[in-house]
Amino acid sequence: MNAVEFIISGMLAAATPFLLAALGELVVERAGVLNLGVEGLMALGAVLAFIVVYHGGGHLLGFVAAGLGSAVLSLVFAALALGFRANQVATGLAIGILGQGLSALFGKSYESLTVKGLPKLAFPGLSEIPVVGRLFVEDVVVWLSLAVTFAIWAMFAYTRVGLVVRAIGENPKAAHAIGYPVIAIRVAAIAFGGMMAGFAGAYAAAVYTPLWADGMIAGRGWIAIALVVFGTWLAGRIFLGACLFGAVSLMSLAAQATGLDVPSQLLSSLPYLVTIVVLGIISADRRLLRLNGVASLGEPFER
Amino acid sequence: MLNYLTRRTLMKGLAATGLAGALGGRPALAADEPLGITLVLPSPVGDVGWGHALAAGLEPVKAAYGDKVKITVIENIAEGPDADRIMNKTVADGNKFLIAGSFGYQNGALQIARRDPSVTVLHASGFQTAPNFSPFAAKYFQGTYLLGMAAAALSKTGKLGSVSAFAIPELITSINAFTLGAQTVNPAIEVSVVWVNSWFDPAKEQEAAKALMAQNCDVIFSNAQDTPSVISACEEAGVYAFNLNSSMKKYAPKKYLGCIATDWSPFFKASVDAHIAGTFKGANAFLGVAEKVVEVVDWNSDVPADTMAKIKEVAAKIADGSFSPFTGPISKADGSEAAAAGATIADPEIVAMDWHVKGVTTPLPK
Repeated sequence: MNAVEFIISGMLAAATPFLLAALGELVVERAGVLNLGVEGLMALGAVLAFIVVYHGGGHLLGFVAAGLGSAVLSLVFAALALGFRANQVATGLAIGILGQGLSALFGKSYESLTVKGLPKLAFPGLSEIPVVGRLFVEDVVVWLSLAVTFAIWAMFAYTRVGLVVRAIGENPKAAHAIGYPVIAIRVAAIAFGGMMAGFAGAYAAAVYTPLWADGMIAGRGWIAIALVVFGTWLAGRIFLGACLFGAVSLMSLAAQATGLDVPSQLLSSLPYLVTIVVLGIISADRRLLRLNGVASLGEPFER
Repeated sequence: MLNYLTRRTLMKGLAATGLAGALGGRPALAADEPLGITLVLPSPVGDVGWGHALAAGLEPVKAAYGDKVKITVIENIAEGPDADRIMNKTVADGNKFLIAGSFGYQNGALQIARRDPSVTVLHASGFQTAPNFSPFAAKYFQGTYLLGMAAAALSKTGKLGSVSAFAIPELITSINAFTLGAQTVNPAIEVSVVWVNSWFDPAKEQEAAKALMAQNCDVIFSNAQDTPSVISACEEAGVYAFNLNSSMKKYAPKKYLGCIATDWSPFFKASVDAHIAGTFKGANAFLGVAEKVVEVVDWNSDVPADTMAKIKEVAAKIADGSFSPFTGPISKADGSEAAAAGATIADPEIVAMDWHVKGVTTPLPK
């Protein structure tokens, strides 16, 4: 396996934690809510999934536990931010810190333990293509993430539910006036976002790295939030951004391994630079940004 | 009641400080109060790794002194203002023996030592000293040299790799000695290094290990990772791996090459003894095999018997001080001479090493 094959084979798996968390946050933000607690929600999901898998509960149950646990924590955010109309930025940060604290607490006796990941499944036919074929040998969660990306894109583009969520994000008062339950739909969006962040954490701790260590999310939740903004609230671009970030991260490591004479500090910052630049260029079209930006983002809704 | 207690405690504290000031010396602990020992760590204490090794080093102190010491371990403290605040608080609470477990705690810990001469501070991997402030570091390179010999004997591709945290001298010396040891077995061996530029990011560390494997590195040195991220990824891929500080054999039963274990207890015990006796003197503690701080354990039985015999021979010479891994001829990666044949590189140069030896193919970040 050479460096190119290494990047191709690892790219999608590296992108998956970002992708899952960012897709969840996309739905939350589309509904007009800014939840900055993704990092903590991921950490909580990671530890819950790890504990279940470690005790032999299996990956499916691990993901269910992670999704549920993080959804419940995100509902605390919903209660404060929607119920009490607290400042969403502050509340999100607080919930994020709470999630990290809880994950450290629950994970105390699991520190540095490992579990088995998931087997890789080859996409029949496509995986036999030389070099590029390595892209089509992934574990089941990666395949499902691709399906979810497509589903969320289709939901916002074609379905009534997607339109209602967008309407609430654009103009909650108007949506309320024509009879949509703004708060209920926002709560549902927040819970969905929490669940996805939980899945993202579960993937990181129980499949990708498979180990638990306090702090292992290491800022990935923040990158997920950034991907939503730089991806101009479009599922396809978020997918692109996540892949780009994953690929450039791997590339920076592969470049060092091959002995390329570039400072490693620069290489380490490359994923951030490249993702910002590329998504910045794509999103340079102001008209598009206005079209896709969420008008009521972060504003509390009062009837 | 609460008021009264607080005031009384305060008065007692004032009296104690006054007394210490009057005596002008470094007083031993009061007879009835246990000596408070605090260990501050940058990462969580797991079953393995850096934090584990430091915490475990205090166990014999606890065993020796029993109720006369009170040990507190504060883990997962980020370097910077947070650490300064916590170290100040612990000293203000009356703990007189502080172990600052990360390089980045240096300035805050040194300030505490300067302000209060009755406090003894041990600081991990720094370079500053004060009368009551000792930096300490392990001579990991004495162990990585031996593992280099084993790695070269086992490698089929002639390429070795290292996943390393930050390009600081302590880590560079480990890589250099690893390379030099490997060259004694196979002079053409190549070593690739991936700097992850993070003390703690298990996912990235694992990606780095996979990047090295993709370059056909078939023995990997997990240099300063606190979790079994690299070790477990290597076991899964069927590649030999080893690490520092504490054994991770249980994560890699087949491919675990060995561990350069550190046992800080002799040093901690001696320092606590000196503090209690009032004879503590701050000095640079650069500790290795001879001081029983560094030891290679859990050798893999796959290492060929003749190589193992040679390793044991070299290990004995390192232990009795008759051989240093940094004995010339040594060339730097840029081709210049680092040490002439027969000359050894002295400790002060080792702790400041900022160049790779010839044979390390990855350029050093500047």
